[in-house]
Amino acid sequence: MDDTINLTFWIGGGVFILVCLFMVYCILKFSYKEGRKVEYKPEDHKLEKILTIATTVGVIALLAPGLIVYNNYINTPKNALQVEVNAWQWGWQYRLPGEDGILGTAQVAKITDDNPFGMNLDDPNGKDDILIQDDVLHLKTDRPVKILLRSLDVLHNYYVPQFRAKMDAIPGIISYYWFEPNKIGEYEVLCAEYCGVGHYAMRAKVIVENEDNYENWIKEQETFSDLIAKQENNKLKTTLVAQNND
Amino acid sequence: MSDEYNQQNTPLEAQSSETMSGSSGTPSKDIDYVRPAEIPEQDLYHGHSFITKWVFCQDAKIIGVQYFLTAVFTGVVGLILSWLMRLQLGYPELVPFITAEHYYQFVTMHGMIMVVYFLTALFLGGFGNYLIPLMVGARDMVFPYVNMISFWMFFIAVCVLMASFFVPGGPTGAGWTLYPPQAILPGTPGANMGIILMLISLSLFVIGFTMGGLNYIITILQARTRGMTLMRMPLTIWGIFTATALAMLAFPALLVSCIMMTLDKLLETSFFMPSILQAGEVLSYEGGSPVLFQHLFWFFGHPEVYIVALPAFGIVSDLISVHARKNIFGYRMMVWAIVGIGGLSFFVWAHHMYVSGMNPWFGFFFATTTLIIAVPTALKVYNWIITLFKANIRMNTVMLFCLGFIVTFVNGGITGIFLGNVAVDIPLSDTYFVIAHFHMVMGIAPLMVIMGAVYHWFPLVTGRMLSEKLGKWHFWFTFLGAYSIYFPMHYLGFIGVPRRYFEMYDSPYVTSAVGMNEFITLAALIVGFSQLIFIYNIVTSLKIGKPAGKNPWKANSLEWLTPDVPPTHGNWGEKLPVIYRWPYDFNVPGAKEDYITQTTPPSEVINAEVEKT
Amino acid sequence: MSDVKIEGFELKPGFKGMAEDTGSDQTMFKGVQWGKVMMWIFLLSDTFVFSCFLISYMKGRASTVVDWPNTSEVFSLHVGSVPVPLLLIAIMTFVLITSSGTMALAVKYGYEKNRKMCGWLILATAIGGLTFVGMQVFEWSKLIHEGVRPWENPFGAKQFGSYFFMITGFHGFHVSIGVIFLFIYAYKTFAGHFDKEKRGWFTTMKGGYVEIEILGLYWHFVDLVWVFIFAFFYLW
Repeated sequence: MDDTINLTFWIGGGVFILVCLFMVYCILKFSYKEGRKVEYKPEDHKLEKILTIATTVGVIALLAPGLIVYNNYINTPKNALQVEVNAWQWGWQYRLPGEDGILGTAQVAKITDDNPFGMNLDDPNGKDDILIQDDVLHLKTDRPVKILLRSLDVLHNYYVPQFRAKMDAIPGIISYYWFEPNKIGEYEVLCAEYCGVGHYAMRAKVIVENEDNYENWIKEQETFSDLIAKQENNKLKTTLVAQNND
Repeated sequence: MSDEYNQQNTPLEAQSSETMSGSSGTPSKDIDYVRPAEIPEQDLYHGHSFITKWVFCQDAKIIGVQYFLTAVFTGVVGLILSWLMRLQLGYPELVPFITAEHYYQFVTMHGMIMVVYFLTALFLGGFGNYLIPLMVGARDMVFPYVNMISFWMFFIAVCVLMASFFVPGGPTGAGWTLYPPQAILPGTPGANMGIILMLISLSLFVIGFTMGGLNYIITILQARTRGMTLMRMPLTIWGIFTATALAMLAFPALLVSCIMMTLDKLLETSFFMPSILQAGEVLSYEGGSPVLFQHLFWFFGHPEVYIVALPAFGIVSDLISVHARKNIFGYRMMVWAIVGIGGLSFFVWAHHMYVSGMNPWFGFFFATTTLIIAVPTALKVYNWIITLFKANIRMNTVMLFCLGFIVTFVNGGITGIFLGNVAVDIPLSDTYFVIAHFHMVMGIAPLMVIMGAVYHWFPLVTGRMLSEKLGKWHFWFTFLGAYSIYFPMHYLGFIGVPRRYFEMYDSPYVTSAVGMNEFITLAALIVGFSQLIFIYNIVTSLKIGKPAGKNPWKANSLEWLTPDVPPTHGNWGEKLPVIYRWPYDFNVPGAKEDYITQTTPPSEVINAEVEKT
Repeated sequence: MSDVKIEGFELKPGFKGMAEDTGSDQTMFKGVQWGKVMMWIFLLSDTFVFSCFLISYMKGRASTVVDWPNTSEVFSLHVGSVPVPLLLIAIMTFVLITSSGTMALAVKYGYEKNRKMCGWLILATAIGGLTFVGMQVFEWSKLIHEGVRPWENPFGAKQFGSYFFMITGFHGFHVSIGVIFLFIYAYKTFAGHFDKEKRGWFTTMKGGYVEIEILGLYWHFVDLVWVFIFAFFYLW
């Protein structure tokens, strides 16, 4: 992707400089003098044809590599890790598919305090999903990641400048993109689609780390069934407390 | 009017209205022959009172000036809003009253005002009304009454827009693209009255514009004077004509999206609204599609870019030709390029939506169409600079602005190739690179043309010249200043600074942006204030400017050839002009002067080796 | 109207003629009044408005989460106790198409300067239009009675109510404007304004029977749009 930018930059910059130089030459050479002999030539088909063809060739040279790169961009590799990003005004949370590698279905309308992701309770695929109610996401190096984007309210965009990739999160639709982090470090996530007053403050963090650290992090996270179990416990406790108070 | 019917000619020669190759034919009556008038003269309404003459006026020239002044007023409002935005970005917390809400309202109103109420109204309403009847040789627009209503609709639209600054909650802060769902939800400033007034104002604008647009199109198609073929029209008219045709087909999409969003807001329909969870509650919306709005909006929005750009292309071609004292190179190709760009502009809209979550396969199609449009655009640039080659260039203010236009436009066009190419666009979209690109290509470049055009046509409108000295100061401040604003933004875009950020806080990788933001803000303030030179120049020149006389630039086109300068009501006095040639016969070999006006019959310039046009 | 004579210009048929007209001076559409060109171009613009509405509707209908209601049930009318699908719509469409026919005849009689006949036919068209609007009001009230609203719909997807009321409403608005103008023109015809070439209110141009044709263009357009709405809403 950087290569296509560089290519466009140099070709485009070259054309820009040529045009400007030609203009400067004309201004210096042909500025107003009474009685200067001026060329009268309304049309020059040959020159026009050459320019058309040259431009077309130039444009194709820019477009063709761009389309090839784009083809790679929209075709996710098979071994990509899935990460679902949930965006809301104004923050992020994540869901990982867990051991079965499949994300359970979820709906905005099912979201409650007890079920912050709107998970479908009947979907067995969702039971082992790892839920991260925090804006820090950890990723493994050198492993492609497929980001699935969901939004709970308005348009957002999960954008890490260093990853050169972005896509809007749209309520009602799941959009995606992928990238492969290959440099260990901490990166800042920015929202890149205007989403209301808090747009500029909608930041998060991605930590790219090696396999061991990543596995450690994963182990600490809660799955959906853990969450349900915890809530059941809490409910039990509160009812017990309530009964004791009676 | 009636005596023009009396010229008797045989029908055979009648077809050959283009047989005026002055070079070889012997002088005879026939080479001056032009077909008789087809349509009877237009009945004009003559206002007598102050109100019918100057307020509810049916003269296209005055309507043009009314449009111009109203649009400039909104433009000044837009300029002030941009200052406030820049102050926040360059020096956060310097101005205490700019909160995030206000900042986003300024962003939104600045964008909407500049694109729709300033540039569109100025080019089509202002220049279109003033120049179309004069340049095609008509007495007035074909429907003067409708034309008047068109202006007043626009005026009401502007009033409604301005009113939104004073309603509770303030104007909408949804970004100029007004993307739902956020545009009508509480998380966005002005999500109640603000957005409703904005949508109403846009609808009124569309209705008013449709009335004006019908006038422009039909005047150009059906009310040209004798001898004025389409291929003899100045490129200004071609630009305005194509832009109007685009507007007539693109504004419906805006109208429809405005109606649907108004219903979403007021009746809680779910056209654009899916299920939404906000503040812990699921809203009553369900099953709508936000991407549909984006498609409708950009189906309007992209042609809108060319609605602004095409008249600028046309006008700048004329200005360059007149002031370089040379015919525009490749007129035919220029015309076809304008028409081609106009036609293609309906097939590229989704290049604004590469990262919008639409089906990614669209990317291939729209990237290809977008880059195809680069070819005719590049050809226009070539033709402008080839026109300068071996010419006789007057380096006056007008020409400076034209050259400024070419530089900015080429710059903006090339960044357009970055953004049109989908793979390159993905990292750059929604960053400052986009801001830099569209301000260069449809902000500064058309503004350069507007300013050049004002210096060029001010003598026609008022009968006095503007001061050249002040004009040059104005140019250099504006040009260098505008470049200092937008050139650094390309760099900000490359490092990934996202747009529409109220504040960057302490993002680790944008530390280099801080100093640059301060610099840009200073430049913006200077450019804004330097426009005072322009206003001062206009105001003083109205009184003490050098009298222009007839045709001060020695131009060929019809608007300078009226019996009275400035032209009066009805434009042409007793008799409509008759046209014998295109408007670019400058420095024709064999001719005595370095220009031959459009109304000069071939028999008067026998020795000139004019090419057939 | 086909045999326009233009001094010094020969009108040729076919593509070549079109190219020649375009390349000529003064006018592109030879012998066509300004008002008529205006109506054509306005209708082209209006076509885009309706296209945007209908394409949005198709997109909306294709992507709802809840099923679209069964149109032949929702729009059926009970005759006795038997539901007859599309009955009302068939009558509405028939009335509107008939009014298009009377409009065409009115234009014909107008050019023949048959003032009376022309006036009565315009009046008939206006009444046809009014009947159509009346039946639409009936249909709306029936649906509203059954609980369909722009924001909700007991039979299925919400968008059904929204799109239905919006698009038929927008079309009905067009018909109503047309009806108002038809009544005005009927009056003008009977009063002989077109024979006397009386100047209009909005323009200082001379009046003429061509104005009836211009109004007719609008009316036929409104009918044509209805055919599409009919097809997309009731038959799909």
